[in-house]
Amino acid sequence: MRISYPFYLVFFLFALCLTSCKEKKSAENDSAVETEEELVARALQIHKRVLTVDTHADTPLRMIEPGFDMAERHDPNETGSKVDYPRMKEGDLDAIFFAAFVAQDIRDDDGNTRAKALCLQMIDSVVASTERNSDAVGLALNPDDAYALEKEGKRAIYIGIENGYPIGKDLSNVEEYFNKGVRYITLVHSSNNDLADSATDPKGTEHDGISEFGSKVVDEMNRLGIMVDVSHGNDSVFYDAIKMSKAPIIASHSNARAVTNHQRNMTDEMLTLMAENGGVVQLTMLADYLREAPPNAQRDSAIAALRASMKPISEMTMDERKAMRASFQELNEKFPNPPATVKHVADHIDHIVKVAGIDHVGIGCDFDGGGGIEGVFDASEVMNITIELVRRGYTEEQIEKIWGGNLIRVFKEVQTVAEQIQAGESS
Amino acid sequence: MMSGTVQALAHPLRLSLCEIEYAGNKQLLTINLKLFLTDVNEALVFDPYSKELAFCQPNESSKANELLLDYLDQFFYVKANMQVVDLRIKSKKLSGEGENTALWVYFEIKQTTPLKTLEVKNAVFTDLFFDQNNIVYVHVNGESKSMMLNKKTPVHQLKF
Repeated sequence: MRISYPFYLVFFLFALCLTSCKEKKSAENDSAVETEEELVARALQIHKRVLTVDTHADTPLRMIEPGFDMAERHDPNETGSKVDYPRMKEGDLDAIFFAAFVAQDIRDDDGNTRAKALCLQMIDSVVASTERNSDAVGLALNPDDAYALEKEGKRAIYIGIENGYPIGKDLSNVEEYFNKGVRYITLVHSSNNDLADSATDPKGTEHDGISEFGSKVVDEMNRLGIMVDVSHGNDSVFYDAIKMSKAPIIASHSNARAVTNHQRNMTDEMLTLMAENGGVVQLTMLADYLREAPPNAQRDSAIAALRASMKPISEMTMDERKAMRASFQELNEKFPNPPATVKHVADHIDHIVKVAGIDHVGIGCDFDGGGGIEGVFDASEVMNITIELVRRGYTEEQIEKIWGGNLIRVFKEVQTVAEQIQAGESS
Repeated sequence: MMSGTVQALAHPLRLSLCEIEYAGNKQLLTINLKLFLTDVNEALVFDPYSKELAFCQPNESSKANELLLDYLDQFFYVKANMQVVDLRIKSKKLSGEGENTALWVYFEIKQTTPLKTLEVKNAVFTDLFFDQNNIVYVHVNGESKSMMLNKKTPVHQLKF
């Protein structure tokens, strides 16, 4: 069957083809003339110009390490530490959310009281650190503080809470944390709490998403201007948060499930809803969320052979055990696991941009909480994300959105909603 | 934060939890260690998925506690008022599942004199992983404190 098209449509398609061919050719010419060195230099200039915000670091855990000094540069290969102020400067990381984390424990009055005390101690550690290092950093409370501090040449330190457990069953705690500087709360962590269900609790769902008390906490967060963070929640927590929250929500450290099938990552349907909600998914540098761990057959067979040659553990002297440990370490070093790389990161960003759009993706590395991959191992290397984005053709405007613009937009909307709620209450 | 430790060689986050509690009115010092089972097996029998020791199972090995205490003796201690407390396992339990299974090891120590100082060494699994971190929560007479101990900083003393 022959279909005849109107002339204007044929002309339009012809013009479109010409334009796209021209653009492609132009891009090819650009890449032909731009050397790798020039591309990296261009990317670093972009990285310097845009506001760079990382929405999730567990660095407060480091701050409670006796003697740990945020003003000193630490070697991540020696200590495992991923963030300090000198390395934030090296990596041109302008702003970061330090998350106060308290491990889930018993959900009774004693447990809740202790969790609150431990959470406040962590928050106080962050505030004290900013005060001790006021020449290099500043405590940030509002979206624009990041830009103001950047102009002063200082890093902006925001505070979040990872796990709503320290709220206990007392709603007034939310305001207490807000007054201390907390600007997002991750509702739940690795186990269910009184607010919400976890994506990883082996007991499964308890509240079918967000509990009745959790919904009140969301209301209170909306009223105060605290961002609702759904990372670590199960899928129902996400859908409940989208319905309950009067302001856009965030996932402070989550990736795309279509790229890496992990329950902590977000499905395409969730990404689409996140876009409709106006929220943002902050991509994280956790290897297992970025790619399926590839097999390491050489190491596995070498280790199996070594195990087969061992004599029974109970017959080994302490020195023999130490020697055996050294042999295993040697094999691990000889056959390291293929790492996750910045290319995996960009694959996730590409996918989220395709599904949700450029306005709904950001960065939340989870440094000091397991985050850190080849090329983005610590805060000093975050510019490698920008380099890969430039390599894939992202413009400065798009990179500005990914690195902070989107998160700041959501943060501002959350504050606007809070002002409206509070104005409604007082009228 | 990642939600647990999985395969000992594939996982980037190395964490354990220790809770120490002292209540003067009960004259009791309690220690609760939460260790990922894969790490325990790797440390004791060089195989994260070994079923040889079968902790908390009906067929638990008769050597399991001894091997565990031998290991802890090298990497963990608690000193109450400058005296090392005698670690005898009161109970154990497993929680979680799969690669996130945790072994909880519980100790109770009679502490008749008021607690003035508490010194903790917690370097468990730092022989396996250079970036192992051990969170220690201390609850003494209603006050809570937390600290992070690791290979670089394995010991810390608190005064009350």
